[in-house]
This record gives sequence, C-alpha cells and structure tokens, in this order.
Amino acid sequence: MRSLLIRCYPARWRARYGDEFEAILVERPLGPFDLADILLGALDAQLRLRGRGATTEHEGGFTMTLRIGGFAAILGAALVSLALLLGSGALVRIDRVVPSLLILTGSLALLVALAGMSAFQARAHPRLSWAAMWLLVIATVSSTVGIFVGLADSSLEGGFVPLMLGLLAAVIGSVLYGIVTYRALSTGAALLLVAAGVLLFVGLSVSSTDYQQGGSRGIVAFYPGIICFAAGWFVLGVQAIRLDRPATA
Amino acid sequence: MEPKPPEFGRFAEPSLLILTSLSDGPKHGYAIMQDVEQGTGRPMGAGTLYAALVRLEEQGLVEPLTPVDRRRPYRLTAIGASNLAEQLRGLSDFAQQGLRQLGETQP
Repeated sequence: MRSLLIRCYPARWRARYGDEFEAILVERPLGPFDLADILLGALDAQLRLRGRGATTEHEGGFTMTLRIGGFAAILGAALVSLALLLGSGALVRIDRVVPSLLILTGSLALLVALAGMSAFQARAHPRLSWAAMWLLVIATVSSTVGIFVGLADSSLEGGFVPLMLGLLAAVIGSVLYGIVTYRALSTGAALLLVAAGVLLFVGLSVSSTDYQQGGSRGIVAFYPGIICFAAGWFVLGVQAIRLDRPATA
Repeated sequence: MEPKPPEFGRFAEPSLLILTSLSDGPKHGYAIMQDVEQGTGRPMGAGTLYAALVRLEEQGLVEPLTPVDRRRPYRLTAIGASNLAEQLRGLSDFAQQGLRQLGETQP
C-alpha cells in the first residue's frame, strides 16, 4: 500500500523526497484521511512539476476537507435513506435497479464524507475508521452488482441479495463511523446512527420472519431506523460545515 | 520596494504550522506532524506536510539537513525565522483587533 501511494508522486519528486516520505508512512499508521491526503499531495506534486502548480495555490484551506465531507454526508444520507425506503418495498413496488443505484451514489458520497471528516477526529479510532470505509466500499461494489443483476433479471427478486448486502454494509459502516466521531464532531449524531443500526437490524429481522406469513411488523422499527439514519448523517454533515465556516459568517 | 512575501496559497496554514514547529530546533517530518497534532489538536497528513515543506524549501525558508536513518531533519533558515516572526506579529495584531471588536460588540 505504501509503495503504491508513493508511486503516485512524480519520479523527480520521489528521487528527492521518496525515502524520507516512506520513513514517515512506516512510522504512522494510515487512516482514510491519510490516504486522501497523500493522493491530493501526489496530485499537487504532479501539477507543480508540470508547471501548473498555480492552479492548486488558490483553492480553499486545510479545513476545506471538512466542508466537502459535510456536504457529502448530507447528500449521502438523503440518497441511502431513499434507497432504504424504496428497497423496503413498503411504499411502492419498484425493481431493484433504482435502490441499488441510489445506494451506489449514496455510498460514494458517504465515502467522500468519511474521508473528509476523518481528518478531524484526531486519529482516535483508525481501525474503526478503516472498517467503516471498507464497509462503504462493499456497499458500493454490492450495489453495482445489484444494478447489473437487476438489469439482467427484471423480476422483483432480481438483484435483491446484492441490494440487501449493500444496504447492510452501508448501515453498519455508518454505525461504526458514528462511534468514531462521537467525541470529535457530534455525540447526538453518533447516538442517532447507532440507534439507526439497531432499529434497522430489528426491522429487517422481524420482516424476514414475517415475510412468509405476509406480516409487516418490521416496518414499526424500520421507518424510525431510516429517520435516525438520515438524521444522524445530516447532523454530522451540518456540524462539519458549521466547524468549517468562516468566522465572520 | 520591499520584497514580496512568499505566497503559499492553500498551504499557507500548514506552512505556518511547520515553521512554528521548527522554531525550537530542527525536526524530521514525523516529529513535525506530531508537534502540529499536539499543538493544534488536528492531524496534519503526510501529503499536506510534504506539499508545504517542498514550497518552504523552494522559498528558502527551511533547509534540509543530513538524513539520519532515512529521516531527514529540516531547520529554519534566517529568512524563515524572519518570515515566521513577521507572520506571528501580523497574527497577533489581527487577534488583538478581533478581541477588541468582540469586546465592543458583546453585551
């Protein structure tokens, strides 16, 4: 992983700084923020060595990552919540392609949110951050599979398994990230995301046992779970944007 | 005509943090990152550190020393120390002005 990241930098840069840079990466465990930070650093080095450095000089400051993360969190929350609502099939009967597409875009947005906001958690829980990130990656991969399966099989069952896997991964990843940020950003958001995980898990469990009997008791826990999920990420996003706004605003 | 102070764009804040970290003696990259994290409560990524460090070195504000076990320490140059003092004085004036304004506007 380390050598792959260093290879993103131009050869001339690596010849001068590569050794000492690698020494730092060996000493410091990498988190999602570090990954994003190093890739942006590599892009900056590539542009500078091509004489286009000026384009990177006047962008936002260091805290820009927090603002981007905040907006991405709100967008991702809206998309995944909508996917949960449509995926439940309680409101409208819809094929699995639309919810899978929503999870795909929502998970990508939540990945951006996670990378942006993890810069400010002072490295308290790097393992949980990575676990949350990989779960969201699973959600994006799984929903992509769901889209293709859904397109190939137009029945209501088409793409159901990848869709559910994507939903579960996105929800569990969100719960983990809630735990990670409970001190750095918002305790309320962390509690909402944990509550969302519990409620959605209960809702899905009850729904699956009710499925053959035609019952719908799971909805009682499922809808509040969706609300908690959306509210948790929304609060996290708003808190991140508030922290990053100019002092004069 | 006074020489134009170097511009670091979006790396202005990390550059200031690095210069401040080096003000009490030479440090290698990892030590700078730890120093900044302890001082500000926020981590500085390795990508940001080196993007700023390269600019500081190009401007002659810091200089590399001989590496020890692949870790290369950096130290402030005389221009770097002068630039840091100037920036800190500017920030101090700005902070005092802000505090005065807050005093005037607070009930």
